[in-house]
Amino acid sequence: MLSLSADITESDVNLQMINGDESATGGDVDHAAALMKFAEAVASRDEAALAGARKELLDEAGAEVLVDAAAVAGNFQRMVRIADATGIPLDESSAAVSYGVVNELDLRRFSSARNTPPGGLKRKLMSLIARPMAKRMFKKMAK
Amino acid sequence: MPHYQYDNSPYPIRSGLTAAYQGYWSALARPGSWFSGSERVAIAAEVRNAVNCPLCAERKEALSPYAVKGEHLGGPVLDARVIDAVHRVITDQSRITQAFIDDNAANGLSEEHYVELVGIAVVVFSIDEFNRALGLPLEPLPEPEAGEPECYRPAQAERGTGFVAMIPADGATGREADLWKDRTANVLRALTLVPNAVREWMAVGNEQYLSMKGMTQFGSFEGRALNRMQIELVAGRVSSYNECFY
Repeated sequence: MLSLSADITESDVNLQMINGDESATGGDVDHAAALMKFAEAVASRDEAALAGARKELLDEAGAEVLVDAAAVAGNFQRMVRIADATGIPLDESSAAVSYGVVNELDLRRFSSARNTPPGGLKRKLMSLIARPMAKRMFKKMAK
Repeated sequence: MPHYQYDNSPYPIRSGLTAAYQGYWSALARPGSWFSGSERVAIAAEVRNAVNCPLCAERKEALSPYAVKGEHLGGPVLDARVIDAVHRVITDQSRITQAFIDDNAANGLSEEHYVELVGIAVVVFSIDEFNRALGLPLEPLPEPEAGEPECYRPAQAERGTGFVAMIPADGATGREADLWKDRTANVLRALTLVPNAVREWMAVGNEQYLSMKGMTQFGSFEGRALNRMQIELVAGRVSSYNECFY
């Protein structure tokens, strides 16, 4: 969704922010490095890292940003567990839209990828039209 | 005294968040679809035990979760299988398999019970994680309410997606007509064997993340401090750390 958000808003985003290091945080996402560190500290449950990341985000972006970031982090601590505990595959339309991102970030290395078959040539071909279609659809819905 | 007052919070907590958390804590205490109120609150307590459970920590490091035997750090209310399932959902979710769920079902932890416990575990965990992320103490658990579970299984639930039965994409009808309109996604369908579990996580998710309508928007949001790209950066980073393919 970060990739699609960047596409739709015509923003400059390096997707390696999702699983790379701080060097990927240049671009159009405000407070990207502080948000990245905070999110990772929550997920890793490293309390010392979390205390530091919390202070950095608070000092840099303010309390409202910190609270909203904590809420989003809590939300996705839930969503991953719903998906894995029920073994759901990625929806076919989402798989086509995210085909390039899955490859770029090498997401098939995750064990939960076993719940979503690779899809083969058909998905690769679908991805060529799915992403522009999704972009058009979301732009239309946003109006 | 009502729960989730955040009177001592050094940060301003949005009213939508406090209302969602208060609403969930009330629902948690009531009899559910398959568990009593006291069992639901005991499941919430197991979420908190799981993060400090030595057996879970040892299993997480093992090549297979079945390689390490022992007892979980658990309370007295729930059966050992229920405790194990809650702990697995919280600490080792990526290694849950169809065989794990089928084995539980063959030994008394039905698919319906499993789905309800997943629903409780993940919502409680997401709210606890919010507090922990802000360095705030965890909210005391609610007092359970008396009563019997409803034992409701939607007739249209079917197998074929994932490990458990779900309502099909065209099955949001009758009592389940409110679950989605027109289109859905597997993650929305995942817990539909217990429709209230979906309603409960969505009410919290609407405030922690975005409503269904909000998900179609890609700029800024009234009353929110993060724009969509910032939201998705946090979402993606947490998901990636958890090795979430979905």
